[in-house]
Amino acid sequence: MSFFKDRNCYLKDYNLTLTDKIFGFNYVYLLLITLVVLMGVAILYSVGGGNFNPWASKQLFRFTVSLTFLFAIAMTNLRLWMKYAYAIYGVGLLLLICVSLFGHVGMGAQRWLNLGFFNLQPSEIMKIALILALARYFHGASLTEVRTIRFMIPPVLMMAVPVALILEQPDLGTALMLVFASFGIFFLVGVQIWKFVVLICGGILSMPILWSFLHDYQKKRVLTFLNPESDPLGSGYHIAQSKITLGSGGVWGKGFLEGTQSRLNFIPEKQTDFILTVLAEEFGLIGSVVLMVLYTAIIVYGFIIAHRCHNFFGKILAVGLTINFALYVFINTLMVMGLMPVVGVPLPLMSYGGTAMLTLCIGFGLIECVHINREMVIGRRGSIDDE
Amino acid sequence: MSVWKYEKSRVMTIRLLGISVVFALIGCVILGRLFYLQVLQGEKYLLLAEKNRISVRMTMPMRGLIYDRNGVKLAENAKTFQAVLIKEQSPDYKKTLNNFLKLISVEEDELARIEKELRWKRAFMPVRIKDNLTFDQMTLLQLNAPDLPGIQIEEGMMRFYPAGEGNTHVVGYVSLLTEKDVDGDTSDPRLDLPGYRIGRTGIESSQQSLLQGEPGRRQSEINAVGRTVRILDETPPRAGQDITLTIDSRLQNEALSLLKGYAASIVVMNVQTGEILALVSAPSFDANLFTVPISVKNWNKLLHDKHRPLQNKVLSGLYSPGSLFKLIVALAGMESGIIGPQTHIRCTGKVTIGDHVFHCWKHAGHGTLTLEEALMHSCDVYFYEIAQKIGPEKIIETAAKLGFGSPIRIGLLGESSGLLPTDEWKQRRFGDAWRLGDTLNLSIGQGFLNATPLQMLTAVARIAGGKNIQPTLLKQNVQDNPQQIDFKQSYLKILRQGMIDVVNKPGGTAYAVRFQKDGWRMGGKTATTQVRRISMKEREEGLKSQDELPEEYRDHAIFVAFMPTDKPKYAAIVMVEHGGGGSRTAAPIMSRLMRTIIDLEENTALPTGGGK
Repeated sequence: MSFFKDRNCYLKDYNLTLTDKIFGFNYVYLLLITLVVLMGVAILYSVGGGNFNPWASKQLFRFTVSLTFLFAIAMTNLRLWMKYAYAIYGVGLLLLICVSLFGHVGMGAQRWLNLGFFNLQPSEIMKIALILALARYFHGASLTEVRTIRFMIPPVLMMAVPVALILEQPDLGTALMLVFASFGIFFLVGVQIWKFVVLICGGILSMPILWSFLHDYQKKRVLTFLNPESDPLGSGYHIAQSKITLGSGGVWGKGFLEGTQSRLNFIPEKQTDFILTVLAEEFGLIGSVVLMVLYTAIIVYGFIIAHRCHNFFGKILAVGLTINFALYVFINTLMVMGLMPVVGVPLPLMSYGGTAMLTLCIGFGLIECVHINREMVIGRRGSIDDE
Repeated sequence: MSVWKYEKSRVMTIRLLGISVVFALIGCVILGRLFYLQVLQGEKYLLLAEKNRISVRMTMPMRGLIYDRNGVKLAENAKTFQAVLIKEQSPDYKKTLNNFLKLISVEEDELARIEKELRWKRAFMPVRIKDNLTFDQMTLLQLNAPDLPGIQIEEGMMRFYPAGEGNTHVVGYVSLLTEKDVDGDTSDPRLDLPGYRIGRTGIESSQQSLLQGEPGRRQSEINAVGRTVRILDETPPRAGQDITLTIDSRLQNEALSLLKGYAASIVVMNVQTGEILALVSAPSFDANLFTVPISVKNWNKLLHDKHRPLQNKVLSGLYSPGSLFKLIVALAGMESGIIGPQTHIRCTGKVTIGDHVFHCWKHAGHGTLTLEEALMHSCDVYFYEIAQKIGPEKIIETAAKLGFGSPIRIGLLGESSGLLPTDEWKQRRFGDAWRLGDTLNLSIGQGFLNATPLQMLTAVARIAGGKNIQPTLLKQNVQDNPQQIDFKQSYLKILRQGMIDVVNKPGGTAYAVRFQKDGWRMGGKTATTQVRRISMKEREEGLKSQDELPEEYRDHAIFVAFMPTDKPKYAAIVMVEHGGGGSRTAAPIMSRLMRTIIDLEENTALPTGGGK
């Protein structure tokens, strides 16, 4: 570790050996992530009726695979990501267009590209690609530039195009996450607060127009959220059962493998979006608070890593990815607790699902990469040389 | 570091702090909501989760059986077989249903119900397609089983009345419990039992609480689609009590066949114990029609039959007792010391009270009569004369002691009290004082007075046996040794002698039906009660014979009898609505009834009275 005190790191040909990187890796951060995944595996074991099949073992396997991605990405050179940020974004956008042209329709939405061996979900790739692209865009921008409207047109378009494509799929949850993550980055890099206020007011005023673009099932979800009694056996039933499951856990929970609501299938999607309710049912308030503490720790760590990073690209990237992670947590928990419409966002690292796990681990790999390369100097255009 | 970098770095640090604050606020909301749901509302949601999880189902108790005095089953639980369709076991349930309908037809409205249930019931819940499968139908279904995937034959319980229509009015019938029966109290657990039936009439209704038993409870854990996962707790149902009646089902059916074609009733009673051996109201009907919901056609047929088969005429038919009441008047006379056996009274055929003439049924008059002779000939004038001296109060008091004016309570519901008119009653009802004419009408059992056949028989049975019996249908309520009735036994003997003479002395109103069988003879009393007033004009033109009148204008015919004559054991009443006349219609039926009783007693040792 003493290595980082070395002034050499400010040299223009700043370069770390693999050993440096392995030592520089933030293992506490990884531990927090692993703990959450293990909690998820335990719950999946319970949801499977006290069995590793069909979910727990698969989830564990997927995490192991994702972990190699995390490590591999952490070992890369941060400049590489700066260099290819726009390219990655371009590929992501292309894939999204492909999906809207010949994507696979599943569950009433067109989200997947069938690659034969793997169902690729380009909207997941876009979550990372957009943050990379925005980080690259704002990396070399001065405050004065950021505060001009003209300078903000390209990043807004960068966000708006994929959001429109994803809304059309339709996937309200992912679209919302992209918008919020981008706004987070805009805020971070110093866009004036009054612009956000204007945007929010404009958004509220244009609500009726947006409403007409929503699909019927999305409208129904929002309406059911606003008035759950209107559909007690449909989506309202799910929200009601979700609250019953959460609440019935009480302070101490019903005990591991003792959750009646989940075991008797009163919970829809119990292994994916509604997994928090199972945790809360079996481990009570204690269990859910422990999980929230772990999530908080992961978020705080992400921000600290960003704060310590000397280059803007890394800073923005780490903050963006952490915001993205936090959005998963917020949207899912608020949705499950009946404070938000059901939009189909999984609980990160807990919910069963390969794509989300992989995307999240790629994100964590990038954050680790930022952490390892925090003292790296990156020029305005991504070159070593700066001013 | 350049200035712009420094500025940007500073702003980003502040903005990162800002984002952290926003996140912390959202975190607080999440924790607050968790606390609210899991701690503040935890109890409520735990209850809701339990309600989700646990289903309490009732299990059917076995209804108590009903036996007659000889152990013949009058009501039993028969196994039935019904065809059900389970959707999830059929690849195409609509096709299965169509195949089924090709084999066995189902009524139109039933088909509508089946189609509705198939739509909304869960796939694993059986839908009833056809009740009460016959053996042939079951064979048919089994042969065609490959075409009927999802069809299953299930066992069910059905109430069955095997002992014949003669028993219907005693035993009654059951039918399906509806929400109306529990006053709309939808929490009544019995409503959850498909096919739960309750008694509607007869013993089935009056003894419902004994017969019904108690449903069992099965607590089971169910999953979200309602399928049972495991059974948590089970209390088995408690079967209802069996009930033994005092009636003889053979006599019941025999009695019913004697009344064929009439709206009529018969009651047979043991005068020593009060056991009712037969209680028949004609016409009767098959109680089994009601156990499956009765068809509209059958219901209307029963409802609109002019002979009113649904009414139990023994309990709720009200008739003037007519000449029968002369027995009571005579007893009242002797009890008050106004007449004795040797009191002679001359009948001229009519009595004039004020400007009103009261006729004897025999216009020529009976001449001078003793009490026994007056009973034998059923002379009206004799009783007009003595009733004036006795006064209505004493007559009413005597009648009440014998059972008139209040329900007898034999163990069936819906019994009428009849009417024993008093001065006070008349004042209240008509605002008019009791007049002498009322007393005269009362003395021959006409006027306001009315009673059920059961009350009339009870009075005669008390006179015949001399005991204050409590008539009953329930074996368990039979008194071993009833007390003597509070009348002088010698007076009762005189009344009995009068009744013996009615049948056995030439000139008695029922002399034609006398018999002497295995040492048994009967005594009896005829009664003919007017259904409509005879006008003076008709009287002058000469009375039409009963046969010339349309049925509904003919007189009611009553005959009450007891036997044997020396030590009475049985008493019976035959009451035929619009029968024309007691001696003409009712007495021959009685004669045949009594001889049937002797046959049963002699040949098969009908258990003698005493109950135990």
